[in-house]
Amino acid sequence: MPSYIELKNISQSFQVNDSTITLFDKLNLSIYQGESYAITGPSGAGKSSLLMLASGLEQPTTGQGQYVKNDQIKSLDDLRTDIGFIFQQFHLLPELTALHNVALPLKLRGDKLAIVKAENWLAKVGLNHRKNHKPSELSGGEQQRVAIARALVFEPKFIFADEPTGNLDQKSANEVASILINCCHENNAGLVMVTHSEKLASRAQQIFSLADGKLTQPNNSNPKVMLCS
Amino acid sequence: MFINNSKLAWQFYQQEHKQAHQRLLRWVQGVLLLFIVTLSQSSDSIQNYLQHNLQGLLGADAVISQKQALSAQQYSVVTTLASNIVVTQQIKTMFTHQGQWQEAQLKAVDSRYPLQGELLTSKAIQDEGQVTKSGPELGHIWLDARLLASLSITVGETLLVGDQYFLVTRVLQHEPDRLMEGHSVAMRAMINTKDMQALNFAADLIQYRYLLAADPEQIAALINWQQQHLPAAQVLHKQGKHPLALFWQRTENFMGLASIILFFMAAIAIEQLAQVHMKKDQYFTAVCMSLGASKRTGIQVSIFKWFIGIVLLLPVVLVLSTVFHYAVINFLSETFTELTWQWDIFSAIKPICAVVGIFAIFHMPVWLALYNSSVAKQFSGNNKGLNHWLSKLSSVLVLFGIAFGYSDNGLLTFMMVTAVALTIALMIFISWAGLTLGEKMTQQVSGLIPFTLFMMKQRLISKSTQILGVGLCAFLLLFTLMLLKDLGATMSSYQRQHDGNVFISQASKTQMDYVERWAIEEDVNVRQIKPYMHAKLVEVNEQSLTEFSEKPSDSLSTFSQAIRLHWSQSIPENNALVDGQWWQQDSVQWQQISVEQEVMTDLGLKLGDWLTFFINHQRYKFEITASHEFKPGAGSITFWVQMPATALTHIQAPQYNMASLEIDDDQWSLLAPLWQKYPTLRMVSLKEITQLFDNTLAMITKVISGFSLMIVLLAGVVILASINALESKEKKKNSIIMSFGFSRATCLKLNVIEWLVTASITAIGAILGTYIAGLLIYQSQFSLTYQPNFVWLTLTLALILSVITGLGVYASRANLRSSVRELMSST
Ligand SMILES: Nc1ncnc2c1ncn2[C@@H]1O[C@H](COP(=O)(O)OP(=O)(O)OP(=O)(O)O)[C@@H](O)[C@H]1O
Ligand SMILES: [Mg+2]
Repeated sequence: MPSYIELKNISQSFQVNDSTITLFDKLNLSIYQGESYAITGPSGAGKSSLLMLASGLEQPTTGQGQYVKNDQIKSLDDLRTDIGFIFQQFHLLPELTALHNVALPLKLRGDKLAIVKAENWLAKVGLNHRKNHKPSELSGGEQQRVAIARALVFEPKFIFADEPTGNLDQKSANEVASILINCCHENNAGLVMVTHSEKLASRAQQIFSLADGKLTQPNNSNPKVMLCS
Repeated sequence: MFINNSKLAWQFYQQEHKQAHQRLLRWVQGVLLLFIVTLSQSSDSIQNYLQHNLQGLLGADAVISQKQALSAQQYSVVTTLASNIVVTQQIKTMFTHQGQWQEAQLKAVDSRYPLQGELLTSKAIQDEGQVTKSGPELGHIWLDARLLASLSITVGETLLVGDQYFLVTRVLQHEPDRLMEGHSVAMRAMINTKDMQALNFAADLIQYRYLLAADPEQIAALINWQQQHLPAAQVLHKQGKHPLALFWQRTENFMGLASIILFFMAAIAIEQLAQVHMKKDQYFTAVCMSLGASKRTGIQVSIFKWFIGIVLLLPVVLVLSTVFHYAVINFLSETFTELTWQWDIFSAIKPICAVVGIFAIFHMPVWLALYNSSVAKQFSGNNKGLNHWLSKLSSVLVLFGIAFGYSDNGLLTFMMVTAVALTIALMIFISWAGLTLGEKMTQQVSGLIPFTLFMMKQRLISKSTQILGVGLCAFLLLFTLMLLKDLGATMSSYQRQHDGNVFISQASKTQMDYVERWAIEEDVNVRQIKPYMHAKLVEVNEQSLTEFSEKPSDSLSTFSQAIRLHWSQSIPENNALVDGQWWQQDSVQWQQISVEQEVMTDLGLKLGDWLTFFINHQRYKFEITASHEFKPGAGSITFWVQMPATALTHIQAPQYNMASLEIDDDQWSLLAPLWQKYPTLRMVSLKEITQLFDNTLAMITKVISGFSLMIVLLAGVVILASINALESKEKKKNSIIMSFGFSRATCLKLNVIEWLVTASITAIGAILGTYIAGLLIYQSQFSLTYQPNFVWLTLTLALILSVITGLGVYASRANLRSSVRELMSST
């Protein structure tokens, strides 16, 4: 039985100057390890907010989320060490080379094989030849590939990606999307992507649309499996 | 266009007004402006005062001053070199009146006095002074108000001086030739020259002054003649230097040093802040440009905005500096009598312009960055090229410019700059070596410390700027505190040099004999008696003293007057031989001399040098064969210069004694008759001596503490500025670390470790820097032997550094308020 995240009846609303803005109400969502999910929807619908709730970084106004790991029910706080993030802006540390950026989470955990593992991961995203370059010397697509390697290097059970290809042109967006989806699949990591791109969304196994506070699943199933390059 | 831009700048300024980077910039600029304006106003006041003093208070065109009268032949030469001469005589003597006693300066003048300027006297203390055409008549004495009060005597009463009665007839208000008294605050009395002869003081105790009216040519001829025939005399003239110039120069040395240090710190702080300003202004310019405005608009707005900040700062600075200026003048008026405070806005304008110009240069990188970039670059705020280094270089050049322009002592400045440069090089090296080594060594170990070292190593450049900023502050603070502590120690060691509670600094043979008999009769304990004679050092190795030693020091200023020359066959019990060999008991070679070790280093003397002394109008040459130092435990009276007792058979000169006595509380009243009999007996109680040193120490303490406060203030700003500069980077780093699944506590731990590492590198750098600066500067400039007390150093540093770490962690707490969410929404 794989681990999964379960959101039950969650609502999120904000108090802004006396008026209450409700992003969504009584929403249910389950995210399984090894599956890929895409969330689409208009700007301001609350996609990013949903991502924050699912990853346990923020608390919902009402409702509850739980993390089921090895058949044990835990709170979403325990999710913290089992997840990785990928951002629209890549957010690599500018002082570090690609290799050291990837090694960073392992180093922090005190892993002695950090550099070796990081090299392996750079190879997997096809950037072995650029490992000693700083982020400023890499293209956007390459930076995002480094970020993918960095997010997966410590073998998280889930990856959350907010607009991972939002800053990339069509060609590199495709490359990055492939790498992201394939690597997550190969690593048996659950992938949750927020995206505006139909094309990227269509590559996920499960597609959700968030609009007017409702989460809907227009067409179920999209079982495309690829291998890491 | 212009008006529009300034309006825009004003809005932009108001919007940023409360933000950290603007607030910090205000602090740096404000503190420095305040310091410089106050300094230059005070300095101007004192220069004016000294100049006015020299012109108005010399009371002559030139003055020859020496102990003992000129010979008839010398006098006739001087008359040919001057158009008019007036002679005055002065002696320090004790006045007693109905059980009260007070030491004062007694001056004897004839009917031709004053030569130039106005002598002011009055009938009563509260009356306004009247111009008086000549000195007191026979049998009359004029006292100044303080002496009248101190002796509880009034005009019309009689006063006994020695064995002569004088009638107090007038209050002495102002003498036109007061300049020669320098910063002495001795009380004053004036009598007729003929009475002086009747008082029969020992001839060599009387200071003779010849007030001359002469034109510049005559003065030149006079100086020429004096150097050949009267080397031991002192000549002052209106074209020359004020006698206090040396004292003031040393004060200015310290201030010069201070301003370089402060500018340096300000440069670091502004450099750090400029990074934030650059980002904000670049962003603003980019918005302007994307809206179709020109790049010039952006630059203009940035310059206006900066200028508005300065202009708004000025009123505050002017008000505060006026207050400080007033306080400084009040404080200095204890040293410079008659120094008065005057508000002078113009003396503030020049330094303000200069400092604002310097700030503009420090701020230049911001405008250069705006000038040199495109829209895309402006948004990303990323440019480090030739310009970056050019502006750094110009900042460094400006600093050197200030360093050499501000200080009038090139040697000191050079040493200070060298010490700072060495410290910087050292700190950069330690940062690099420490982090590289630390990272290499901990590579195989897991945990947060290796990671921190690794991260710091990767960020070496930005990290070492921070270390430099903080480290230099610690170094400067430490150095200043060391200076304070060591000056204090020097002062108290002076105090220790006197045991017994009454100290006789000058007693003639007859006086001493009398005191000894009196002591036996009254059961007073005499601790020590040591003989000496007055000797004036005129030449070292046939070179005149002024040519030989150029740098100002305590020793040199002491040697510009006659010193006390002691003789002793064997080495005194309270001295230890440091170098050379003490003379043999029965040595026929009498031209030997031992000089105190610190004096040797101060004046740059070495064994084998020949010193020429003027003793009682005769030249005597001695070879330095030994060097001694004070050894505590066997009495405190010690001498800088000592010769063999056998020399006495070759030198005819009056001999004096120094002595220390222990007097019980109920025996104090016995002193009055002693002074009554011998008014010139120089005797002070330990309490008076202690008070004198306490006053000096209090003054130095105040100056240095005030200065340390400035450094602490700027140091705080530097730390905050460096944190402010890295804030966005740090926030991002923390968010990224948290996105790997780490908690905020981990980030806090990393932050603490990073500050601890920063602090330790800073500590090592600052200790070494202080040591270097001490070696270079201490001895040469402050005449203090540099003996670092490492326990004290370490303790102070531990304190400073825990404060730094505390402040650092506290100030960077904002960086911890980051979240992964910010990474999602940030651009
Ligand atoms: N802490 C908060 N306080 C108040 N309002 C908030 C807060 N967080 C989010 N919002 C608001 O909730 C709404 C949804 O934000 P969210 O970032 O989740 O939208 P989104 O779907 O990701 O949009 P986009 O596609 O533009 O990224 C926005 O209007 C935002 O202003
Ligand atoms: Mg969003």
